[in-house]
Amino acid sequence: MNDTPESTVAEPAARSFNVHQPERAPQGTEAPAGKTGVIETINMDVFYGDFKAVADVSMTFAFNEISALIGPSGCGKSTVLRSLNRMNDLIPSARVTGKVRYHGADIYASSVDPVEIRRRIGMVFQKPNPFPKSIFDNIAWGAKINGFKGSKSDMRDLVEASLKQAALWDEVKDKLSESGLSLSGGQQQRLCIARAIAVQPDVILMDEPCSSLDPIATLRIEELMLELKENYSIIIVTHNMQQAARVSDRTAFFNVELDTKGQRTGYLVEFSPTDELFTSPKEKATEDYITGRFG
Amino acid sequence: MLSDRGRHHFQEQLHTIQQQLVTMGSLVLENVRLAGDAMVQGRMELVDKVREADDRVDQMYLETEKLTFGTLARQQPVAGDLRFLVSATRILYELERSGDLAYNCMKMMQRLGGFPQHPAITPLLEATVTASCKIFAQGIDALAELDAGAGERLDEADDEVDDLVGRFYTTVGKHSVDVGLDVAIGLSRVGRFLERIADHAVNIAEHVTYVVTAALPGDAAAASEDEDDR
Repeated sequence: MNDTPESTVAEPAARSFNVHQPERAPQGTEAPAGKTGVIETINMDVFYGDFKAVADVSMTFAFNEISALIGPSGCGKSTVLRSLNRMNDLIPSARVTGKVRYHGADIYASSVDPVEIRRRIGMVFQKPNPFPKSIFDNIAWGAKINGFKGSKSDMRDLVEASLKQAALWDEVKDKLSESGLSLSGGQQQRLCIARAIAVQPDVILMDEPCSSLDPIATLRIEELMLELKENYSIIIVTHNMQQAARVSDRTAFFNVELDTKGQRTGYLVEFSPTDELFTSPKEKATEDYITGRFG
Repeated sequence: MLSDRGRHHFQEQLHTIQQQLVTMGSLVLENVRLAGDAMVQGRMELVDKVREADDRVDQMYLETEKLTFGTLARQQPVAGDLRFLVSATRILYELERSGDLAYNCMKMMQRLGGFPQHPAITPLLEATVTASCKIFAQGIDALAELDAGAGERLDEADDEVDDLVGRFYTTVGKHSVDVGLDVAIGLSRVGRFLERIADHAVNIAEHVTYVVTAALPGDAAAASEDEDDR
């Protein structure tokens, strides 16, 4: 990033934020006091082919915290999220440089099995994607594939516990054999959260988990996140800035800058306690974004 | 079950803010009582205690203000929640000012080297402190219970404090030669501080009425009190 020439593209809207400041103080590179870091990125760049999508991201995500990633379209927040459990491996041209550490171990080391990484660092997607199977099997399958060895009654316990943690049990306990697709959008999303929980991850990544849900279903997912953070680290990408404000403990604001060829590269502007970011952001670019003064 | 609780975490935050305001109010009330004891019983050693307690009130003010602002910024409150949070910032001001007024009584007493025991003045001072404390306690109760009717009730009860303070002024004036002009002026100031503390309590109750009913205390009496404060 540091060697990227400054933009000469005339785009007034970008004026206030296309000046990259490599000398600015690092923020959010360590877990907050009293919290344990779980995932750490160190000078992480993500490329799609020759295109650098995100540059120089250094941040630490902590246990028992909800971290939100916000920023304008193309700022790379989803790219960053997908890099944290090697979901980007599924895109052939994607490449990550720098380090991503999970409990101190490099997740991109050649000896690491990405499937194991994705079990420990679960993911919930924008659109609920239950398997076209029964509600019970939606939970049981993932656990079986990941080597669940217990008895049938152990499996029932696991399904019940997972659905309870996802605040769905009371609504589905009498129809566990019905298709997961028969549920409402919000219920399907909670089913997907239950499925992610069932394989016992300690981090849950959420990529716009509420963008296809109505406000009431959104509220339930937000309340659920607040419950779940007692036992997990949750990292959420959201277009909905107010959602980040409502649920997260810390918020990372990403911005995008244009290079001379018109390529857009995302970078981290600040990663601050959410209270501070929404009352007294450190960076002017953050203030401009959250107050709706650009874009 | 989740669906029954709505925005449970947000509601908890609102409750925390309310609790902190009530706690702060109790601290202030205790401090007014302590300042009253100091003045009536001539106990100079209480001056430091009142100052220290007021420092705690100021600390709570900052903490609660931060929490309230953070909640406003993050939770997009509307309707009753919005009225509560905006009123919370005003109630904070009323509480903080009341705490300062209690300490002002102590500063006045310290400057004059204590107030003399006087057969006509001292009992009236004690009665004024008691009346002020009573109305302040009612203001804090209104806040704790979100009692919509308290605003009007306290506004009426405040007349009693105003009467007492009026009599206190007259009595101090009558005996100003006995106690000395400095002390007489100091005591008059103290009477004014005690009257203002009661006014802040009325304001708190009126803010509570607004939180609960959305009705603004737009009556002429409140407006003229504010005028008086300038």
